[in-house]
Amino acid sequence: MSGKQRIDDEPAFVLHSHAFKETSLLVEVLSRNHGRVALVARGARRPRAALRGLLIAFQPLDLGWFGQAEVRTLAKAEWQGGQPLLGGQALLCGYYVNELLLKLLPRDDPHPALFDAYQAALRGLSLGPPYQIVLRRFEMALLKELGYGLTLDLDADTGSAIIPGLNYAYIIERGPVRRDDGADQGIAIPGRVLLNMAANDWNHPETLSHGKVLMRSLIQHYLGNQTLQSRRVFVDLQDV
Amino acid sequence: MSPSSLDELIDALRCLPGVGPKSAQRMAYHLLQRDQRGAQRLAAALDHALRVIRHCARCNTFTEDEICARCLSQKRDASTLCVVEMPADLNMLEQTHAYHGMYYVLMGRISPLDGIGPKELHLDKLLARATDGSVGEVILATNFTNEGEATAHYLGEMLRARGLKVSRIARGLPVGGEIEHTDAGTIAQALVERRTL
Ligand SMILES: [Zn+2]
Repeated sequence: MSGKQRIDDEPAFVLHSHAFKETSLLVEVLSRNHGRVALVARGARRPRAALRGLLIAFQPLDLGWFGQAEVRTLAKAEWQGGQPLLGGQALLCGYYVNELLLKLLPRDDPHPALFDAYQAALRGLSLGPPYQIVLRRFEMALLKELGYGLTLDLDADTGSAIIPGLNYAYIIERGPVRRDDGADQGIAIPGRVLLNMAANDWNHPETLSHGKVLMRSLIQHYLGNQTLQSRRVFVDLQDV
Repeated sequence: MSPSSLDELIDALRCLPGVGPKSAQRMAYHLLQRDQRGAQRLAAALDHALRVIRHCARCNTFTEDEICARCLSQKRDASTLCVVEMPADLNMLEQTHAYHGMYYVLMGRISPLDGIGPKELHLDKLLARATDGSVGEVILATNFTNEGEATAHYLGEMLRARGLKVSRIARGLPVGGEIEHTDAGTIAQALVERRTL
């Protein structure tokens, strides 16, 4: 990517931030057209800084920045509004979503469709429970954008269409295979559930329960040896 | 070559929040060259504080005693317990003269993405304090940041499950605040949290 010197009016969300030097903040953002970007917000931790209280996660912002190094300098931030603050369980789900982006999406890799899916997820979370559907939709979009898209409607062995009445086992990096062919590996999922997932239809409880198990395994697989802190921290409150 | 005592000092100063290598070097030169007496005082005060200061067994704030003077006071309302993130927050609440109950200082906040959860914050100590039989209401006065909200949510769930009345301090426009000069985020949230008259 070239021409990275100066970016203006870029829709973005703060994913996480850290104290940086005496008074600054190092902010990881997800931007619509430039992907995940690391920015230094100079002086943002001074008591009366205009940026203080503005650079918070889950709020739509318009950002401007400059610089060519990996960490760029924030020039401008404007609050956009329209997204209620997250609270309670929705907030914990938000942390989970942010952590997925921080751990699975490399910096400077633009994915406008993923940005839109993220914005839709935050909106969904702000509407209240149930949150599981919101999370499963986001996870599917994330895996697709990262190039790990799942084929859920075709048998990985034969290439033929999944049959609703049969039982399958989903094998990571391969796909669904017929379970009664002696396969005892993979994650057991009925055909009708696979087809619902493929259609992104999460309305049936069994789709959600299988979806949760499948997504957990897939995400852990792609995370490698990284641990999801948001999940560990809230182990006793977690039901997502 | 082993690190010189100067390098060791510079490195030690970097444990202070927001102090990078350059500032640490500046501080070290200042202490050694311009203010040796100040440096001695700092060293002695730090050494002394580390030996005598501990966390109050009841409210968790810094104290030199097993239980701090505020927790021992008979004049305070023992039935309300106000939970704050840091001692500075407690001081601010005291300045209001509007609260006369007890406190619990978390000494931090839940920050999931930094790996700081209930266990790291030792919230079992707060749960024990809140359920010791004297407390009727717990007021959650953590910050209105995402981390403060996550902390309040977690504490609210845990304390309510133990039969305690739990409340959260209100948020909205500042006293004397004019809508025209208030940030949009605050106004938006004030609308969400509006109350019926
Ligand atoms: Zn005390």
